[in-house]
Parts: sequence; C-alpha cells; structure tokens
Amino acid sequence: MKRARVSDLAIIVESFFQAAVAGILVGCIYGLMCCGLSLIFGIMRVINFAQGEFLMLGMYFAFYLVTGFGLVAFLGPIYGPFLAALLAGPVLFVFGYLLHQYLVGRVTGVNVIGAEAEGHYAQLILTLGLSLVLANGGLILFGSVPQVIRTPLSSTAWLIGPLLGDYVEIFINQARAYSALVSILVAVGLFQFMARSSLGKSLLAAADNPEAASYMGIDVDRAHRLAFAIGTGITAVAGGLVATYYPFQPYVGIDFVIIMYAGVVLGGIGSVAGAFLGGFVIGVVQQVSTMVLPIQLQNTAIFVVFLIVVMFRPHGLFGRSAERT
Amino acid sequence: MLRIEGLSVAYGGLKALVEVDLEVSEGEFVTIVGPNGAGKTTLFKTISGTVAPVAGRISYRGQDLLALPAAARAHLGMAHVPEGRQVFKTLSVDDNLQMGAYVAAGRRDWVRNRKRIMELFPVLDERRDQLAGTLSGGEQQMLAIARGLAGSPHLLMLDEPSMGLAPTITDAIFERIRAVHKEDGLTILLVEQRVAEALESCDRGYLLDTGRVALHGSYETLLSDARVKKAYLGM
Ligand SMILES: Nc1ncnc2c1ncn2[C@@H]1O[C@H](COP(=O)(O)OP(=O)(O)OP(=O)(O)O)[C@@H](O)[C@H]1O
Ligand SMILES: [Mg+2]
Repeated sequence: MKRARVSDLAIIVESFFQAAVAGILVGCIYGLMCCGLSLIFGIMRVINFAQGEFLMLGMYFAFYLVTGFGLVAFLGPIYGPFLAALLAGPVLFVFGYLLHQYLVGRVTGVNVIGAEAEGHYAQLILTLGLSLVLANGGLILFGSVPQVIRTPLSSTAWLIGPLLGDYVEIFINQARAYSALVSILVAVGLFQFMARSSLGKSLLAAADNPEAASYMGIDVDRAHRLAFAIGTGITAVAGGLVATYYPFQPYVGIDFVIIMYAGVVLGGIGSVAGAFLGGFVIGVVQQVSTMVLPIQLQNTAIFVVFLIVVMFRPHGLFGRSAERT
Repeated sequence: MLRIEGLSVAYGGLKALVEVDLEVSEGEFVTIVGPNGAGKTTLFKTISGTVAPVAGRISYRGQDLLALPAAARAHLGMAHVPEGRQVFKTLSVDDNLQMGAYVAAGRRDWVRNRKRIMELFPVLDERRDQLAGTLSGGEQQMLAIARGLAGSPHLLMLDEPSMGLAPTITDAIFERIRAVHKEDGLTILLVEQRVAEALESCDRGYLLDTGRVALHGSYETLLSDARVKKAYLGM
C-alpha cells in the first residue's frame, strides 16, 4: 500500500521532469524563432504576419535538401538534417532581402516616416496577403500531406536516471536536444553580432532614430532590409530544426506565428536576447501545462502566463525603459 | 569648403528657404542666427540630405552634395549635430559614440577621438554604460556633440546646442565648441538663438529671416546692425 503511494508520486514527479525537459528543449528552439521576429517586429517595428510562413519555408527547404539533394547520403542521417536547417538561413536571408527590396520596403522604414501609424496599416494588409500567398502557394507546390524530416535521432533518446532511488527516469529526445543546441549556438552568434559589431549596432541605431542615423552615415533603408533579411533567415533556421520532430504542412505557420509574437512581447520589445528568453518561457509553459491541461488547451496556458506577465511588467520580462522617469 | 548657391526649399507650397547663398571656408567659425521659423534647421537638413531642395546647388570640398543620398554625405567628413539632440535613446553612451564613428574615418581614429571626447566631456566617461535616453538634457547635448566629433569630421554643424539648457551649461558647451575649433582645427557652422554668445565666438555670421539671408558679415557688422540689436540684444 505504502509502496503504491510512493510510485504514484514518482509518476507525477517523473512526468513533471519529463515535461520540463521537453519544455527546455523546445523552449530553446522557440527562442530562436522569436529572435527572428524580434529583429523585424521588436526592433524595426514592422508588423509581419508572414513570419510563420518564413518558418514554413525553412521547414520545406530543409526537407527537400535532405530528401531531394541527398544531404543525408552525404553527411549521414544524423548531421544532414541539422546542416539543412542551418543552410535554410542564408537562402531565406536572400529571400527576405529581395522581398523587402521589392515589396515590404515600400511600407517600412524611411518610406513611412510621418505616415499614419508609421505604416502599420499598410504592413498589416501587405504581410497578411503575403502570408496567404505563401501558404497557398506552398499547398500547390508541396502538397497537403504532413511531412517530417526523418532522422534516427527523432526516435532515440538518452535515458537519465533512475533518479530519486529508482523511481524516476527521464527520456531526452535526441532530435530535440540537438535542435536545441543548434538553436543556442545560432542565437549566441546573433547576440554577438547585435551587441558587438558596428553593423549590428547600426541596425539598432537606425530603428531608434532614423534621422540621426542617417547623419552618422548609416543607410537606414539598407539597415531595415538587412534586419528583415536576418530575421527571415533566423526564423527559417528554427523552422528547419522544428521540422526534425514536428510534422508540418503548408499551413503550419499559424501554429507558430502566435507563439513568436507572444515570445517577443513577453521578452520585451526591442531586445533580441529578451525575445529568446520569452520564447524559452513559452516553450516551458506549453510543455509543462500538458501535465494538467488537455493538449487542446496548451496554447491557452501560454496566454494566461502571457497576460499575467504583461500585467505586472508592461515592458515585458526583460524590457527596460530608455526614457527618463 | 561648403558653398551654397541659390538654395530654395519648400514644404508643400510653403517656402522655407528662398535663394539662400552661403559660404564657409576651411577653418572658419560661421554662425547663423535668426528668429524662430526662419529656416535655419531646414538649411541644415538640406545640407545633410534629409530635406530635398527645389532649386540651388550645394558643394562640399568640390563635391556636388545634392547628387548624394543623406547617408553618403556623412562619409565625406561632415557631422551634423541636430536640433533637439536626437541621441539614440535606447543605446548606451558608448554605443552612441561608436555610431558617431560609423564612418571609415571615425573607425580609424576611434581610440584618439574617444580619448579627446572624454577629455572634453568627462561626464560621458562616467556614464558610458548608461542608456542615452536616461541622461539629463545637458548630458544629452554633450553626447550629441561628442557623437558628431567621433566621426573625425572636418566640418561640424551644430543646430542650437543651447536649446533648453541652463546658462552655465550653455557656457560650458560654447567653451568646448571653441576648443574644438581652436585646438582641433575643426570648421564650425553654428545655428544659435543666443546671439550674443554665438556671435562673440565666430569669424562671420549670417542673419536668416523668413527663409532669406537678411544680412551677413563679420561679428562687428552683425552686432552693430539695428535689426540684430533690436531683435536679440534688447538694445
Ligand atoms: N516638415 C515640415 N513640414 C512643413 N513645414 C515645415 C516642416 N519643417 C519646417 N517647416 C516650416 O518651415 C519653416 C522653417 O522651419 P525651421 O525649422 O527650418 O526653422 P528654424 O529657423 O530652425 O526655427 P527654430 O529657431 O524655431 O528652430 C517654418 O515655418 C516651419 O513651420
Ligand atoms: Mg531650428
């Protein structure tokens, strides 16, 4: 009898740790995708509804690179998918750059200085349309069958334990673990670029005060384009990583775009590192909430936490005010 | 060094500058004075490229400035310290200076310039990690000037650096401007409302009124002009 009660408790403890570990891993990947949106929305203040579709394009790009171009054969099934995800970065960077140059740039940056609501209305409509075009175009090109990038790591796990005297064992899914690791590395690279390089800081300066930035010799239009392109590429890398454990189809963007916005606002608008942590918190909340809530409600849990945080910290978890008080 | 000929600017139908001629020679200290709305800031913005003229020519060291976009002009060695300071509020003091040094010359001379800046404005050294938006008004003005200096400019353009500052701070700032003119050999183009102090430091001055150059000449010429006396000096 006593023995039974201990094992009940052990099951709860075990599933909590299991959910927490899963949350930490997907949290890192969510963190990376939030970093991408943070450059576009958090820093450059461009409303982009198509960010979820950028993620989707990253997924399909990585998928076709692995299945169609034999990256698996070349690098082996273990490293191939992760390299494919990384390669989605530069390719979608170019895509984002061109998209900004010919389309999005017309309703952002120097073109909307002084416009009503800083061009947000036009951005809303344009990127909503873009999102539909990309998702529907994806349906025609890629079909509606859910895909996943198969790697042997998806179905292998490390076993931690037994802990707490034989009762608790935790599995760490290897595909998620490697994806989380790659996410952290890419995010750290991005933080270094933003915080250390003159080019990275010039993006912040161009967003902060475009007029003064141009007096410093910073090409504000190009800064916007660069931020948009980097933001697209970063989210695409995250997409490629998600694709190793999450089945996707052309409409997958909607599952993630809300998570990204919530993460960016939760972390504090204007801070790339904050966005990573915002995404991380959301990953943890989402996974841990599955312990107590039915799976359909896991996104509800995210928003309850979101509302609580924003109630107490209107600038987000890591936002700081640059105005004198 | 800077030559402006027949420059006219209009906002919509409203004429802000009408056929303005102005010249600044290498090593000079030139002041522009004039009442509110005279077009002083508009003139500076047109030189820097954030406002486009309807007519006229601007050349800087023989280069046609109007053929270049705003961001390219800063790379020629001119620094614009804008009206109302316009520091990068969300960046630290040090990052603001580093953005001032974004041009190639600024990067090349970064160590030397930074040392000189901290000598002129020691308070910025104390506050180097503070967000610029949280500095006091006087400190922000010092930062705005320092940010201009960080680019190793030949021509420093200052738009009302005394705006909203206490007289003692204003004096300190004017003294630093004179110092960079005399000791570092920078050419200065200064817009000011505090006419007495501004004219006192300069070689030559221009009086701008409703978009036209109403008067120009030496310090003595301007100071002895009845219009200047009446409007600014209360005499
Ligand atoms: N963006 C703008 N749109 C329309 N009119 C403008 C704009 N900027 C300035 N003006 C007008 O142009 C005229 C000149 O303005 P400007 O700011 O150049 O004057 P100023 O001499 O710098 O004045 P102050 O001493 O008050 O700074 C003013 O009548 C002003 O209302
Ligand atoms: Mg002015």
